[in-house]
Amino acid sequence: MKRYFNLLKHMDWWLLATMVALMVVSVCFIYSASYRGLGQPMPHYYQMQMVWFGVGLVVYVMVALVDYRSVCQWAPVWYTMAIGTLVLVLVKGTKVYGARRWLGWGSFGIQPSEIAKLAVIVAVSYYLFHRPPEARRQWRTVAAVLALAGAPLALIVVQPDLGSAMVLVPICMALMFAAGVRVKHLAVVLAIGLALAPLGWMQLRDYQKARLTVFLSPNKDPLGAGWNLNQSLIAVGSGGVTGKGYLQGTQNLLGYLPRTVAPNDFLFSVIAEETGFVGGACVVGLYGVLFLRGLRIAAEARDRLGLLLATGVVAMLFFHVFINIGMTIGLMPVKGLPLPLLSHGGSFVLATMAALGLVQSVWIHRRVY
Amino acid sequence: MIISGPFQNSDPRLRIVGIVIGFGLLVLLAALWNVQVLHATHYGNRDQAQSLRRIRIPSARGDIVDRNGVVLANNRRSFDIVMYLEQLNHPSKRQDVLRMVSETLVAINEALGTTITLSDRDVRIHYEQRRPLPMTVMRDVSTNTVAAFVERVNELPGADLIVTPIRQYPYGSLAAHLLGYVGTPKGSPDDTEQELERFYYYQPDIVGKQGVEHVCDDFLRGAPGGKTIRVGPRGSTAGVVGEKPAICGNRVVLTLDVRIQRIVEETLKKVSLPAGKELRGAAVVLDPRTGEVLAMASRPSFDPNIFNPGGPAQAVNAMLNDKERSPMLNRAIGARYAPGSTFKTVTLLAGLNAGVITPHDTVVCHGELRIGNWPRPFGCWNKHGHGALDMMGAMRQSCEVWFYQRGMAVGVDRITKMAMELGLGQPTGIDLGSDLAGLVPTPEWKRQHIGEGWRDGDTAQLATGQSFLLVTPLQMASVAATFANGGAVLQPFVVKRIESPTGETLHETQPTTRRQLSVSPQEIELVRQTMAAAVQAVDGTGHRAAVKGLNIAGKTGTAEADTPHGRIKQAWFIGFAPYYQPQVAMAVLIEDAESGGHTAAPVAAEIMAGIFDKNAEAPVGDSGLYAD
Repeated sequence: MKRYFNLLKHMDWWLLATMVALMVVSVCFIYSASYRGLGQPMPHYYQMQMVWFGVGLVVYVMVALVDYRSVCQWAPVWYTMAIGTLVLVLVKGTKVYGARRWLGWGSFGIQPSEIAKLAVIVAVSYYLFHRPPEARRQWRTVAAVLALAGAPLALIVVQPDLGSAMVLVPICMALMFAAGVRVKHLAVVLAIGLALAPLGWMQLRDYQKARLTVFLSPNKDPLGAGWNLNQSLIAVGSGGVTGKGYLQGTQNLLGYLPRTVAPNDFLFSVIAEETGFVGGACVVGLYGVLFLRGLRIAAEARDRLGLLLATGVVAMLFFHVFINIGMTIGLMPVKGLPLPLLSHGGSFVLATMAALGLVQSVWIHRRVY
Repeated sequence: MIISGPFQNSDPRLRIVGIVIGFGLLVLLAALWNVQVLHATHYGNRDQAQSLRRIRIPSARGDIVDRNGVVLANNRRSFDIVMYLEQLNHPSKRQDVLRMVSETLVAINEALGTTITLSDRDVRIHYEQRRPLPMTVMRDVSTNTVAAFVERVNELPGADLIVTPIRQYPYGSLAAHLLGYVGTPKGSPDDTEQELERFYYYQPDIVGKQGVEHVCDDFLRGAPGGKTIRVGPRGSTAGVVGEKPAICGNRVVLTLDVRIQRIVEETLKKVSLPAGKELRGAAVVLDPRTGEVLAMASRPSFDPNIFNPGGPAQAVNAMLNDKERSPMLNRAIGARYAPGSTFKTVTLLAGLNAGVITPHDTVVCHGELRIGNWPRPFGCWNKHGHGALDMMGAMRQSCEVWFYQRGMAVGVDRITKMAMELGLGQPTGIDLGSDLAGLVPTPEWKRQHIGEGWRDGDTAQLATGQSFLLVTPLQMASVAATFANGGAVLQPFVVKRIESPTGETLHETQPTTRRQLSVSPQEIELVRQTMAAAVQAVDGTGHRAAVKGLNIAGKTGTAEADTPHGRIKQAWFIGFAPYYQPQVAMAVLIEDAESGGHTAAPVAAEIMAGIFDKNAEAPVGDSGLYAD
């Protein structure tokens, strides 16, 4: 027991502090996002989020204390489990908005795609770590990584959950890049991916096409598919430099920002509306600290496995942040990618905290105490 | 130190990953700056535009009171049953609104025992265009209905009782033509165009449509208030952002005296015409010292209370479109009649002034007079002839032949000049918006409009108030006032004062003399004496206007007019009282009557008696003037 406390003392406090700060912001603004005015019934989203954070902290500490190397030894098991749940969700999953993404037991549900993201990080890092450096410069390795990531990616696309599936792409690219795969190989992979994009377009469902075309001209259908994008932009823009004040965001309060998305996918709009550019920049700043701290841990890791794990996690979180905030301010198509540590949602909170626990473990176990 | 780690590390690839991420975050910050700082105003405006709605709150109209503060027009509270569509359980589709409204309506009808229906179209329009405003279901319900509704209100979701101001005229049709009426504005005048843009939900004021309500509309209307509300994406109210109460309209104090107005109207009402004909006519009472209108009545009349928005539409339309009776027409200023013998006062004054007529001019009346080569002889009302008459006798008896002869001697130019000096042939300029000019024919006018030259016969007819001469009752009352006050042609007016809601005087009408007649006091006095004789003398044509204990002077008139229904006689009486220091001057006109002496003079007597609180039964044989 004493050993564990000793280990905890050596964890990266900056990483923890940034994480806790984002968690506090999350609870405050999920409260605001579901606030309906005085005397109106208060949805329990913020309380649920606190429960998830509580559970998440336990997971975080546990993962941080376990040596990441022993976690990675089980990589084939994690990977198989992830594939298993992804298949299971397609067969037995709960249908929400026309997509099977949830595995539920009673009122408790998880999204297997979140498990899959972690499993892919662990599995690809483990695989690349065990390839000799010269082998990493060969096509075979690239092909193997693409196969490893391709299976869960395909299963997630079929759900369909295009957004979550796309997260696997930057994860793999970042891991291969950090592992020393030749840039030429990565460029070829990207080029092939882009060439196949029109083929993919034909496979898209109508609502997905609508999202993409609306992004290109949001005023084309301002009351239909363009609504969320327009209202989010108005919310963020009308916040100005210092915002409208906590619980004063009219776009959110009046329901122009749809109540179903405000606490999760569009939480950043609420923050930006109520705290303005100052608040929005602070949130971006917090993520900046989190990511670059994560990369420093990667740099100081005792081995390349630790480096790859930390880089993969940072790449995953960055992709989420960039797509989500980009979406709320009109840079990106509307994609259902939540903000790490901020958006309401159990599976992703747990996945994010487990991932950060893994990064913490890389830091803690960089030396032997 | 916190984030510099990856850049110190020897691994260049990790450094590149760090640079990519840092660049990505900077892109986000720049985009955020662009939206929140550079375009903050743009999005702020869009936020306001989609969530703020201004509602115009109409102001309460000011009161109209008589000279003693008796209220002639004010507002009463109307209890309206309304529905708030936005409270009807958030319907998701239009059809649902219609269903919920009809369900609530059935419940209201059951609770109150009424049978109200609303058209789907109206409900839909209200739902789409005026959602935060209450939709009126039933206007101005009775107190019993209010009680029944209040008892059941909890079972009627979305329904409510609101109080709105309704224009009311406590005396009903009293002075209706002078007061006018109100209604909802038709179309939009220029100034509301701007207002329509300022307000999302425009609730119009009621506007004055006639009479004082129309002329003083700007004063009576007050200033509208406004309310800014926030609405959600469904258009339902989320809260009130700001409110500015409406400012009540100003109070208009009239020169009218309700007591005199009632006397005049009740007297007119009592007049019995042969064959049960409905009385059509007008009466005007002026204060000859100031020009103040003490009473102005026109018959047939109407009840301005029915014109309120939501009033009985059929009755209103019938009233407005009744071409036969023209009940909306204010005959005191809006209809023209030949003045008949009342005009002899003008001819006489013109002759005296020119020195052509002297009190001792004697003419023998044989009942008719041949003039030039006119095909028919010109008749006197007394076909048997009056015999020899001097000026006093001619006025007393209202002899036509005397005035044919003397009038021709005076000449058309002098008569028309005097008529115009007295204000005939031009609008009086009374503050009721518009009054008719009437017509004083001149040789030039006849050439232009009839295409014939002026003949002596025309002058003879003009001298007795016929020919093409046309006047309004108000003009003749003004003529009477000029004789009463000794030669001042006054500007008649009805608005005495306008007071702000706080009692501050905003406007006070000063009595205005339009002109002083260019005649000597003696000449006027002579005409006054003949007028007194016409009423006071036993054989005076106006003797039925005499009142015991009151010195009334006046002149009757019976004008002939051709109408689509044949030739009718219009009965006139103009006069003033008391003879010395007159306090009232008046004109009475009754269309299609027997004669001035028989029909109009008794009306005048009753009005005068009422005003001065005397017994109206004029004892025959009393000759006031000569005893005087």
